[in-house]
Amino acid sequence: MTTNATPTDAALPKKWSRFKYPDSLYSYAGWLIAFTVVVFSIEYLNIPLDRLFGMFGRMGEVIAQRYYPADIDYIMDRDYLGYVIETIQMAYLGALFGLLITIPLAWFAAYNMTPSRLFVYPGARMFSMSCRAVHETIWAILFVSILGYGMLPGVLALTLFSAGFAAKLFAEEIEAIDMGQVEAMRATGANLFQVMVFGVFPQVRVAFTGIAIYTWDVAFRAATVVGFFGAGGMGWYLKRSVLQIETERVAAIILSIIALVLVSELLSAWARNTVMKMK
Amino acid sequence: MDNATGYRVMDMRTDDILARRTRRQRKTAIIAVVLFGLVVWSVDVTVIQDTDWARIGSLGEVMEAAGQFAGIDFSLFPSLLGPTLETLLIACLGTAMGVILCVPATWFGAMNITPFAPITYPIARLMMTLSRSVHEIVWALFFVAVFGLGAMAGVFAIAMRSIGFIAKLSAEAIEDIDPGPVEAMRATGANTFQVMLYAIMPQVLPQVIGTVIFEWEINIRRSAVLGLVGAGGLGLVFFRQMNTFNFHGVTSVIIAILAIIFLGEAISHAIRRRMI
Repeated sequence: MTTNATPTDAALPKKWSRFKYPDSLYSYAGWLIAFTVVVFSIEYLNIPLDRLFGMFGRMGEVIAQRYYPADIDYIMDRDYLGYVIETIQMAYLGALFGLLITIPLAWFAAYNMTPSRLFVYPGARMFSMSCRAVHETIWAILFVSILGYGMLPGVLALTLFSAGFAAKLFAEEIEAIDMGQVEAMRATGANLFQVMVFGVFPQVRVAFTGIAIYTWDVAFRAATVVGFFGAGGMGWYLKRSVLQIETERVAAIILSIIALVLVSELLSAWARNTVMKMK
Repeated sequence: MDNATGYRVMDMRTDDILARRTRRQRKTAIIAVVLFGLVVWSVDVTVIQDTDWARIGSLGEVMEAAGQFAGIDFSLFPSLLGPTLETLLIACLGTAMGVILCVPATWFGAMNITPFAPITYPIARLMMTLSRSVHEIVWALFFVAVFGLGAMAGVFAIAMRSIGFIAKLSAEAIEDIDPGPVEAMRATGANTFQVMLYAIMPQVLPQVIGTVIFEWEINIRRSAVLGLVGAGGLGLVFFRQMNTFNFHGVTSVIIAILAIIFLGEAISHAIRRRMI
């Protein structure tokens, strides 16, 4: 960043410039690269720049004509409520199983605590990275094609998604612990497992609870759409309405998703605050 | 022992502490029982009752179904290059557009610089929540309805989805700045725009760039699935391979997705390490 040093010699540059020589070069190069990438993408993706601004008018039109009076009656239905509860259960189970996988996975993927830096660490890193890299909808499609329609593939897809998500955060948390207690445990002759349970876990317990709650929140957001590919929950309702081009029902379903996500976000924020206070 | 009063005080304190501990343990036990009950109920409803066990068959049949994916269709790779580049570019352009769109949300959403807190602050918060709570697939569905099939719907979906995260973290960074430079700028008679450009921007820029790069990395994996609903990129190829039951081709597409995601992660790691 720029330094605020006050130049004392008389040889002040005539024109003030925010970036001095090497910084200015980097800054220009950065802008140039960003500009080139943007222009190239617009060209490659065939985005009609001339029609772009007309599109916003069209967007308003589409919302006003097709989506506007959201069909609230459609979602005020026992069936729909049942699907909502299913979605919540799916997210709950997926996050729970994912967190169960996360505990050993994060242990193996934390550089300071891993049993073997040569073999276990890269393997665990690869596994958690792949879980995160493949989008939850792709997991859902794969599991649906293996296990058939239903909530089980949804739960499994969310399990892998949550494991990848939580393992990264949790491993970072383990990497940031105070190593003094671990060394003390090791000095008394504790084995790997004992070090983990009595030396590491008490230090990360609160953080882990926070991560667990956050994971549930994120898993719920993902759970609202896995049904779109046949894995149960309210996504299936969404898919049906989309295919039937019942746009007003789609609007109502999207509104209900927004409301539910808002509630879950508030709940998770409250729960995390409570946990932090209990520390 | 002889000091009766002191002993009693100790006693009361001990009782108090013990009582509090019992209460806390009871509370924890109740929470644990409730959570466990929820697990049992959920497992029963979602896994045991809802699953068509006859269709799944034995473990061997499941392994056989999963085994269909074991294999790579190498002949597909040359035709994957175009969609892979498209996915990457959708992510880049979507992130760039998200950054532009999140400027008002960040400005209104930071408590210390928001123009008129009672109105603009809730608007910004609403924008952030709306952007984050709607899944990218849903955004893509909406934009496909507006713009028609193609990459443009994907770019808009990614941009809308990015606003929330970038704006939230940037607004938090702005709320944490040192107010000194802002006051100094104001004292010299700078207007709001100049204060933002020269007093606030330099302080939050590293953090904001870090956030944007992180979001770009997430956006790559998002843009890889937007094709499933018709917004271009690798998702479309995935969908086609899946529907033609070319399971080895599905594996190839997943490998392509993993490749660009690892590339993105490596780039973002390198840039962030250089900056910090």
